[in-house]
Amino acid sequence: MTPGELFLQQLLNGLTIGAVYALIALGYTMVYGIIQMINFAHGEVFMVGAYLGLTAVLSFGLATPATGGIARLIIVIGIAAIGCGFLGLLVERVAYRPLRKAPKLSVLITAIGVSFFLQNAVMLGFGAQDRYVPEMLPVRHWGGGTVSITPMQAVIFAVSFLLMLGLQGIVYGTQLGRNMRATAQDPLAAKLMGIPVDRVIAMTFAIGSALAGAGGVLFGVYYSTINFHDGYLTGLKAFTAAVLGGIGNLPGAMLGGLLLGLLEGMAAGYISAQWKNVVAFAVLILVLLLRPRGLLGERLAERA
Amino acid sequence: MPNPFRRVTAFFLLSLLAGCGKAEPVVKIGFVGPLSGDQAAQGTDMLRGSELAVEQAKTKEPVIPGYKLELVSLDDAHSPAQAVATAKRLAADGDVLAVVGHLNSSCTKPASAIYYEARLLHINPVSSNPEISRQKFDTFYRICATDDLQGPAGTRFAIERLGAKRIFVLDDMTTYGRGLANEFMGAAKKAGVEILGHEGITQGEKDFTPVLTKIKGLNPDLIYFAGMFPEAALLLKQRQKLNIPAKFLGGDGLFEPALIDLATPEAAEGMYLTTLGGDIHQLPTAQAFVQAFEAKYGHLGAYSSYAYEATNLALEAIRRAGRKDRAAVLASMKEMKRYDGILGAHTFDSKGDTSLRTIGIYTVHKGKFQFVEAANL
Amino acid sequence: MKRAVLLLLLFLLPILDPNPYHTEILSTAALYALLALGLNIIVGFVGLLHLGYAAFFAVGAYTYALLNLHLGWPFWVGLPVSGLVAGAAAVLLGLPAIRVRGDYLAIVTLGFGEIVRVVVTNLEDWTGGPNGLMGIAHPSAGPLRFGVEARPYYWLLLVLAAVTAWACARLRRSRIGFAWLAVKEDELAAGCLGVDAIRMKLLALALGGCVAGLAGCVFAAKQGTVTPDTFDFIQSMMILAMVILGGLGSVAGAVCGAVILSVAPELLREFAAYRMLLFGLLMIVLMRVRPQGLFGSR
Repeated sequence: MTPGELFLQQLLNGLTIGAVYALIALGYTMVYGIIQMINFAHGEVFMVGAYLGLTAVLSFGLATPATGGIARLIIVIGIAAIGCGFLGLLVERVAYRPLRKAPKLSVLITAIGVSFFLQNAVMLGFGAQDRYVPEMLPVRHWGGGTVSITPMQAVIFAVSFLLMLGLQGIVYGTQLGRNMRATAQDPLAAKLMGIPVDRVIAMTFAIGSALAGAGGVLFGVYYSTINFHDGYLTGLKAFTAAVLGGIGNLPGAMLGGLLLGLLEGMAAGYISAQWKNVVAFAVLILVLLLRPRGLLGERLAERA
Repeated sequence: MPNPFRRVTAFFLLSLLAGCGKAEPVVKIGFVGPLSGDQAAQGTDMLRGSELAVEQAKTKEPVIPGYKLELVSLDDAHSPAQAVATAKRLAADGDVLAVVGHLNSSCTKPASAIYYEARLLHINPVSSNPEISRQKFDTFYRICATDDLQGPAGTRFAIERLGAKRIFVLDDMTTYGRGLANEFMGAAKKAGVEILGHEGITQGEKDFTPVLTKIKGLNPDLIYFAGMFPEAALLLKQRQKLNIPAKFLGGDGLFEPALIDLATPEAAEGMYLTTLGGDIHQLPTAQAFVQAFEAKYGHLGAYSSYAYEATNLALEAIRRAGRKDRAAVLASMKEMKRYDGILGAHTFDSKGDTSLRTIGIYTVHKGKFQFVEAANL
Repeated sequence: MKRAVLLLLLFLLPILDPNPYHTEILSTAALYALLALGLNIIVGFVGLLHLGYAAFFAVGAYTYALLNLHLGWPFWVGLPVSGLVAGAAAVLLGLPAIRVRGDYLAIVTLGFGEIVRVVVTNLEDWTGGPNGLMGIAHPSAGPLRFGVEARPYYWLLLVLAAVTAWACARLRRSRIGFAWLAVKEDELAAGCLGVDAIRMKLLALALGGCVAGLAGCVFAAKQGTVTPDTFDFIQSMMILAMVILGGLGSVAGAVCGAVILSVAPELLREFAAYRMLLFGLLMIVLMRVRPQGLFGSR
């Protein structure tokens, strides 16, 4: 394997997980854009998505790697996305909406509480050990022999891309999207314009959570094992991606996700695998300190 | 303001008092292992071995006349910090006369210091890192082989049977994994085999594709992994996905059926591992145990026989002491010249290690572990 | 007067109830009380939301461990050094962070906390890696047999916690305390009144870090072993929860919160699996129903 081929393979692998980070990052960025809240529990929604996907695969007997595997995978993604969408609605309604006027500290603590609750609930329901996720697609190798891409990787790219395209379509092409943008710009004015702000916020949570749920299924099938701990670390990395791209900025979240996945993969492959997680945290801190608006974000107003 | 304060104080004092006033004459054996978390399968298997031993002991004469026998099981979740906490708990409990545990060397090693301080008999079933007994704690006894045997045995197998000349070594950076990897590499270097690289992976990590891609680029004959089965399963899967032709050899931490489930039989097919001991199904002294265990629990795991043996050894030491006294139990253990258990006849050296040391080689074939041979020692 | 009586009672507890397991629980409570008091300075007095406090706990523990194992320094020398090093670390890690606002500060401190843990885990030649360091020496003080008996550690921690609580109460009513309060309430206005917010914040971080360092040193000696997995985000959250439960800014509250949340898991051992669940629920409900905690005001 030539150094060039090695590099290409590392690149591909990095971008694959980057796409998953991007999907989760979108949820963070949407919620922050609209109510300036860091939804600490968003990573757990992603994890729940992975488990919903596993449950769907097991209970509907969808784990047969035959032709039509893609269709079944899409169905599973759909189920997880819808399930997580509802979870997002529930969490917003029960935990966050009552605290809309509360100080930031209270909201953050509540979010952490929700995160712990969800983690533990899943652990109690599914067990603490890793759960095996069956292959949904045949394990083949496309490519020139040494550099290979598996069908699953291709699917991750395709699905992420389509979902992000879909999100752009909603945000810039529908009434809901207009309402979301208006609420993000100025919630009071939006309310005065007759926009049902509460409902818009709820939908934002729902959509962000649905995307995370889809990401969860892709993650679970790609790595073939899931654990209730996955949400915390991956969530933190996706948040880093959102901040890297510019929090509140949708294309930023996508760019940030891919970039972070790439950085991580390169660091792990060329420096050392052990330090991989430090990359994400270091990037996070550096961005927050040196360029808090991220790569594509606008200058943030100083709010107390 | 005084109100919540008073309530809290009252709650606190009440709960303390609730702990007092229990006067049943009982003798306890402590068991610690990873009963939760990703290695729970192995920990639970070990616990069952201990439970069986205690259950059988209860049907016979009491171990110390006048006292009820109890097994106290605690969970260390393969975390050294929790291992120390559980060790302290057992040490503080005056009814506990011996401890069987832990599973992971990274847990056993710090815990052994606590047991030593408390003068509590500590019998270790399966932690194979040689450093633990080199601490020369007179409370520590071990009934399995150690990695200064397992590592070189693996090397010999790799060279002689698998024809490996270029090897890449991975470990999980734990006391056990790092220690075993170092033993393996030491023997490999002496034999003149080329070690292409040595990297550590973190337990709990999922994505090994970067390091595996790097390995793929170096094109070794063999990948050696010293670690535990959850990470090994992921390595096997991702090795398959990346289409790496190198063979795979691991240590005893992989010897758990869940490995094959997590990795899928296809990805695990043809892998090899060394284990601490030969095939228990072929050991005549163990057949009664095997039958009793399988009748009660179904399937026999890798470590249950060791926990069973260790528990019975502890019970024997207590029986010989004849009274509820930790020092007496320690003394009777020291005086025991020989113990005939299900694994054979043990005699213990000055460090507490057993004379019974065998290393086995297994492979995975058609979704099941298959005994290959007893290693050349 | 009431407090002196309480203190005496607490001192006598392990004599009245000699069960070593109970003393162990009391020690844990005292340790967490100390930690909660330290974090309370940072989060409660100045309002800096810090999600990475366990890192300073780690720094203190590893400092003593390394000094003892490699240089043979005894505990009583190691104790103040651990405090100083941890305090310095808090300032160093805080310097870049304090210019960042609100929730971002929280995330930055979280990030630093995790980085410290990963660095400690990976620098195996220094820190023993994931397996940590063991064989750390106990203190010796005349007839008190640390390590062999459970009581001496309890008394040591009790003294440390009591002194820290007293110091915190005094600080709060001092000029520094008022400056902290001003910064917490309205940083801009405080600046207009001549309060150097940056210095005040750094001071709080230094003191809070120092306390964590002291706690870390005692912890390392008591356990005999330090491993990185003790000092994770969950640990930071636990301590933060204790402070919040007690009421941000309240000294008595920090102690109470610590006692409740460290003793409860011991009593509810059968529910160990539900610990995180209940913990999360507690956070959610508390923020809804009584965000000021037991003793806080608002």
